[in-house]
Amino acid sequence: MEPRSDSDLVREVRNGNRQAFTELMQKYQRRVYWLARRIVTDHDDADDVVQETFVKAYLALGEFRGDAGFFTWLYRIAVNLSLNTVRKRQVMNYLRESELLGKLLPSPDDPSASVEQKELESVLQRAVATLPEKQKAVFVLRYYDELTYEEIAKVLKTSVGGLKANYFHALRKVQEYMRNEIQTGEEPGRR
Amino acid sequence: MRFKQEKNPAGDEAERALEAEVRASSAGGPRDAQPPDPYWQNLPVRINARIDGATSGKALSIAWAARVAIPGVVAIVSFLIGLHYYVPEPPRTIVSVESVVLSLPPTAIDSLLMDPGRADPSLTLREIGVDVFNVSREQITDYLVASGNTTAAVEELTERETSALLAALGTPPR
Repeated sequence: MEPRSDSDLVREVRNGNRQAFTELMQKYQRRVYWLARRIVTDHDDADDVVQETFVKAYLALGEFRGDAGFFTWLYRIAVNLSLNTVRKRQVMNYLRESELLGKLLPSPDDPSASVEQKELESVLQRAVATLPEKQKAVFVLRYYDELTYEEIAKVLKTSVGGLKANYFHALRKVQEYMRNEIQTGEEPGRR
Repeated sequence: MRFKQEKNPAGDEAERALEAEVRASSAGGPRDAQPPDPYWQNLPVRINARIDGATSGKALSIAWAARVAIPGVVAIVSFLIGLHYYVPEPPRTIVSVESVVLSLPPTAIDSLLMDPGRADPSLTLREIGVDVFNVSREQITDYLVASGNTTAAVEELTERETSALLAALGTPPR
């Protein structure tokens, strides 16, 4: 049987067919997960983002006009949720650093924190984590997802020219970060 | 999200070369851990459960009650109570401003003289020039500590609130 198109599945979901939405989830869950994971870096956060993305998409499907493809629309939701998660982590990190809350919140260096996460953090991931959020979004969509600039422009609702500049700046920063890592004699994957 | 309109600093060739270099540099690094197969099988199940929770009649009615009904009822009841008990009555005796001022304790008079802007209750925040969002890091920290469960408090923030908070904390979103 030929796989149904996104627009067919969306139409069926709108008619109350939940199985069609499950098909859409199965089709895109990995891509949305990895998009989120590249931005938020942590598996648990990425898992939250994936779930939130699909729940939000389901609830807002009535507002989806179909101007862009379903995938583009879904990616836009995922990018926004991922960036918001990163911002929340920044707030939490700030609070952890403050003396008062240092005692109340578990430190990220706490031995009980996810050991797996730390071990798997590659140099490239750390480099991506240092990028400003706009460059991070463009980098993840272009470098990992290999989307065209036109597709990224639809996801992020911006111009292709601005995206190219953002991607180039991001590449340069990542390259510089990785060179510094090598120069300081650190083994990739360990810090 | 708004992107600045920047001029592309390099041509496509330079971009491709740089990208290839980054890919080559990162090729030796450890690969990201793939979630195991059961994770992918369970993910739609967990998402469907969340959708069921969010769309069930109970959840909708609770959400509706929390957002609309309860605040609405509280507002109406407060208004009625206010009307019933706190309607200002016309003064029975005419009191002079001088006698009112003289009846104030000296510290209150001093504070009014030091900060006359506060004396006029009709002034709006805009007229006084107070920015309610302009709070210090310490105030934010104190508030979040006082609110108890800080993690939950931060998780509840909207996208806009998170950005405003980060700006107030002096940590611009990267």
